[in-house]
Amino acid sequence: MIDLIAITDHPGPPLPGSLSLQAVPVDGLTAVCAPAEREDATVDALWRREETIEALMADRDLLPVRYGTRLEDDAAAARAVTERRAELGAALDRVRGAVELSLRVIAADDPGEARADDETGGRTRSGADYIRAKACLVARRDAGARTLHEPLSTLARASVKRPPRPPLELLRVAYLVDRPAVEGFTALVARAQRSSPGLRLLLTGPWPPYSFAER
Amino acid sequence: MTTIQEREVALVDLIDRLLGGGVVVAGDITLAAADVDLVYVHLRALITSVATAQEKGLLPHMGSAV
Amino acid sequence: MSDRILHAPPDLELFAADRPEIEDALSRRINADPENVQRGLAQLVLTVVELLRQIMERQALRRIDGDTLSEEQVERLGRTFMELDKRLEELRLEFGLDEEDLNINLGPLGNLL
Repeated sequence: MIDLIAITDHPGPPLPGSLSLQAVPVDGLTAVCAPAEREDATVDALWRREETIEALMADRDLLPVRYGTRLEDDAAAARAVTERRAELGAALDRVRGAVELSLRVIAADDPGEARADDETGGRTRSGADYIRAKACLVARRDAGARTLHEPLSTLARASVKRPPRPPLELLRVAYLVDRPAVEGFTALVARAQRSSPGLRLLLTGPWPPYSFAER
Repeated sequence: MTTIQEREVALVDLIDRLLGGGVVVAGDITLAAADVDLVYVHLRALITSVATAQEKGLLPHMGSAV
Repeated sequence: MSDRILHAPPDLELFAADRPEIEDALSRRINADPENVQRGLAQLVLTVVELLRQIMERQALRRIDGDTLSEEQVERLGRTFMELDKRLEELRLEFGLDEEDLNINLGPLGNLL
């Protein structure tokens, strides 16, 4: 049993020797496989997988594969990649030379959450309070999107919005950024933070392009 | 030196990606999580082709749901 | 800054993971047992229901914004959505799904939710 972990070009640089990876060529692409993880998924296993993908990413473009993609053997991996050869080739071209950055924006001065459960000392919220708090949250999210996301997206090749996590999160976005543009992007986020005292911005990365591997 | 808290923070973003992103392929034996996603991959292909057809004016105007 | 953090505020704990919740989510998602088939179906159904709920709620918010509704109507609308939100959350928890499970990436259409 093997785990399919990434798709890269073929031919390409040799795989790092230390990681017992196997390169399976498939019609101009490489399916990078690892021996199947013996243990159930743990946080440590996820970090190990991430380190492996990032080691690969250091000297090549790649598409990371969803965690948990387990196959019988190399031949099975080749079949799976062949099945989607055209799409995968296009996706790899889309992410070439770029990395993924993650932005999360939280409201630091939350006026009130629109939760359905009883919050304040057993007293049930009124429907009007609930829906008005919702309206306020939606308005803040839209404003956040306009003032933060729009300028940042001009510096990125592409972006994908993810659902923000209630109650405090206003924005959660993945950006595909050209490698040389990461520093400038980070500086823009720092500037945006300085001019938004009521918000908290978190930028992480560079990540492999998980959010841009599928269209 | 990475603090525990910094790792915790990065973990949220890692999980978002590792479990919710990346290429989804069919396999001989796929773990349960990936099976559901395969339905989504096919569904997405269908919806994308509908959206493209709509853009090109090949479909009647459907109005907006929102 | 280290460990992939490019920019962060001093109050970093706002962004930290809920550790027990994460490990529970992990074992659910990756553990390949028969229960997952049922959860997979529930996931599909609840995702569609959640999508519809959000669409309807957005419509309601627009109407409220438009200021043509009486206070009583606003109250009724709000109570309906509050109950719907609560019921959906109960169902979600019953099937051991978290909020991120109720989402599909639709490429050019963005995420479903």
